Amino acid sequence: MRVPLWEILSRSKEGPIVEEKQFDLSIFKKTQELQKKYDIKYDPEKPVDTNGDLADRVYQAGVELFLYIGTYCSTTKRIIKVTEKELRSEIDSLPPEVVLGQGEDRVKMVHRDVEGNQEPIVIAGVQTAPFSDEEMMFKILMGCAMNRCIDGIWGGILLKIDEKYDVIAGAPSEIYQYRKTAEILRRAVIAAGRPGMITINNAPTSPATIAMFDEERGLRRSDYMEVTGMSELKVAYDDFNRTAFALAHEIPIHGTHSSVIGGFSGNPEGATIVSVAGSLQLTTIQKAECFRCGAVESRVKSRGTRTHLWVAGTAIQAISRNTKLIVDGSMGDHPGAGPGTKQNLYESAAGHILSTVMGGHSTEGNRKFVVGNVCNFGTPLESRWMGEVCKAAVGMDRELGSHIVKYLLSKYEDKVADPPEGETFEKLYDQEKLQPLPTYWKLYKEVKEELRGQGLKFKD
Amino acid sequence: MASLNISQEQKDLIDSLREAIVAIDAERSKEIAQKIAESNIDPKIAIKYSIAQAAEILGKKFDCGEVFLPHLVMAGDIMEEVGSILEKNIPTEELTKKKIIVIATVQGDVHSVGKNLVAVMLRSAGFVIHDMGVDVPSATIIQRAKEVKADMIALSSLLTTTMPYQKEVIDDLVSMGIRDKFKVIIGGGPVTRQYAESIKADGYGTDAIEAVEEARKLLA
Repeated sequence: MRVPLWEILSRSKEGPIVEEKQFDLSIFKKTQELQKKYDIKYDPEKPVDTNGDLADRVYQAGVELFLYIGTYCSTTKRIIKVTEKELRSEIDSLPPEVVLGQGEDRVKMVHRDVEGNQEPIVIAGVQTAPFSDEEMMFKILMGCAMNRCIDGIWGGILLKIDEKYDVIAGAPSEIYQYRKTAEILRRAVIAAGRPGMITINNAPTSPATIAMFDEERGLRRSDYMEVTGMSELKVAYDDFNRTAFALAHEIPIHGTHSSVIGGFSGNPEGATIVSVAGSLQLTTIQKAECFRCGAVESRVKSRGTRTHLWVAGTAIQAISRNTKLIVDGSMGDHPGAGPGTKQNLYESAAGHILSTVMGGHSTEGNRKFVVGNVCNFGTPLESRWMGEVCKAAVGMDRELGSHIVKYLLSKYEDKVADPPEGETFEKLYDQEKLQPLPTYWKLYKEVKEELRGQGLKFKD
Repeated sequence: MASLNISQEQKDLIDSLREAIVAIDAERSKEIAQKIAESNIDPKIAIKYSIAQAAEILGKKFDCGEVFLPHLVMAGDIMEEVGSILEKNIPTEELTKKKIIVIATVQGDVHSVGKNLVAVMLRSAGFVIHDMGVDVPSATIIQRAKEVKADMIALSSLLTTTMPYQKEVIDDLVSMGIRDKFKVIIGGGPVTRQYAESIKADGYGTDAIEAVEEARKLLA
């Protein structure tokens, strides 16, 4: 039996009041203690844990941290806690599968084992990025949706209304424009011949996110509601709004939380423990049925660093081995390098292969880590890459996964802090034919052949 | 420090205070600071070569991944305590007024990681920091800046749709006729120097280290 949201909200008003700084520091102190207790050590020579014992200890530490420290509600400044019995019951009560999409595009998202043969669900697209205008947004999203190797796509945002007025988070313009993007997203999947395909988008605030749901023209009950746990181990009422709406409308809930490597999680060992604890928060506190178990670097703008791969990979493996929860890895979703560069494909591949091998789905799109307000900074080809790589890694063992990840790291690691900027859609694609320009296509095929040579079994 | 007219014993005390701060040893730091305060060491020299240098060392250690955000927070607490012990011996009229910075993540944006880092690094660098947290309305930020007589407002935004609030703060300061009272620096994932220039911010930091350098330069 799950702890009702209303009980969680009640605890958010009755739990102990704690100064935020003290909560933040207590994460660090407890994770330091737990990594000693459970003998958790990061070895940079082994960015992929091929054994599993370590992951099991990380899981135990993550459970202990979550039960000890709880979740900080930044709205009420109080701690929300659950008991061990409630946590066990919550984990046991979660559905074994989440059905997403409609008609021929309907898919089942199930628990994946480490090295498992279960098909990973891939939701690609230029996640949450800005687009220059409606036509360009439609074109790029349609191009993404046409990739048969992916199961869903993310939307983004148009920064101006009537090419003049700024779209501002928390203002009426946010609601209006995000609603519009949901409609474009929907039209794009229909035009791509995949009307039932999963479509996802997430606005900065809950009213705008909720406004995107509309069975006829926007997001549907067959898509999912994205709920975010604030870093680290925090939640706000704005996040609970999304959960409440999703529960009322029977929309599946997907959660996402990131530990911060170098943040209050401290070292990589601490971050992997906090990643597990954050995942437990998403299920028990925010009622997610599936979730991204993630991390983010505090100093490097890439989700493909050696430390990040170890932190998130170990945490995903920890949850996959120790529960039947539905985990989404999504490492490599935000490469430091931009589109049109080999490094972009290398970083994406390292993360998505590892995600798949460790028992994760990949549902957080694929776009450059920092796009700023540069519009159209992504193409359908990166989505195709994400899909091809994830599906090719199904059933791969950790030894081979480790070999390929190390190979990929050797190709980009020295450039990850200062990566190539890349190009926008306009520079990389034939906009009429919706096909990559020959130079980009050649680069794509070269990297694909390179990885095939390393043992990745692409479907074609 | 070699050129300073202080004894080896005094130099050792200052060195050991710096080392204790870098080691995040609160008790030892306070103990040594007390010894320095009871000696005839010029407190300004002690502050410069212990606290200020410790902050610099910790900043570098953070940059290369040797220490983490919580270390900087704890070191900041120690520096404040040690600073107040050492400053007791400085005549009030000689005390340099510390520059005050109000920092916040703008309205509609709950991202805290970058803002926290900048706040902690600025505090370590000797600024008085008023961290207002995340999702803070422009008017509230300005009100606080006025109340605490801030020298600078630092604004973080991680979303393209919240960047306009950085502009809003600057525009509101202009409208209220108090733009010249505060320096404004901005930062955050999608924010660029070009954007900072376009909204007439005084400064920009691509990361926490750069933000500190920019603040030092602007408030020198």
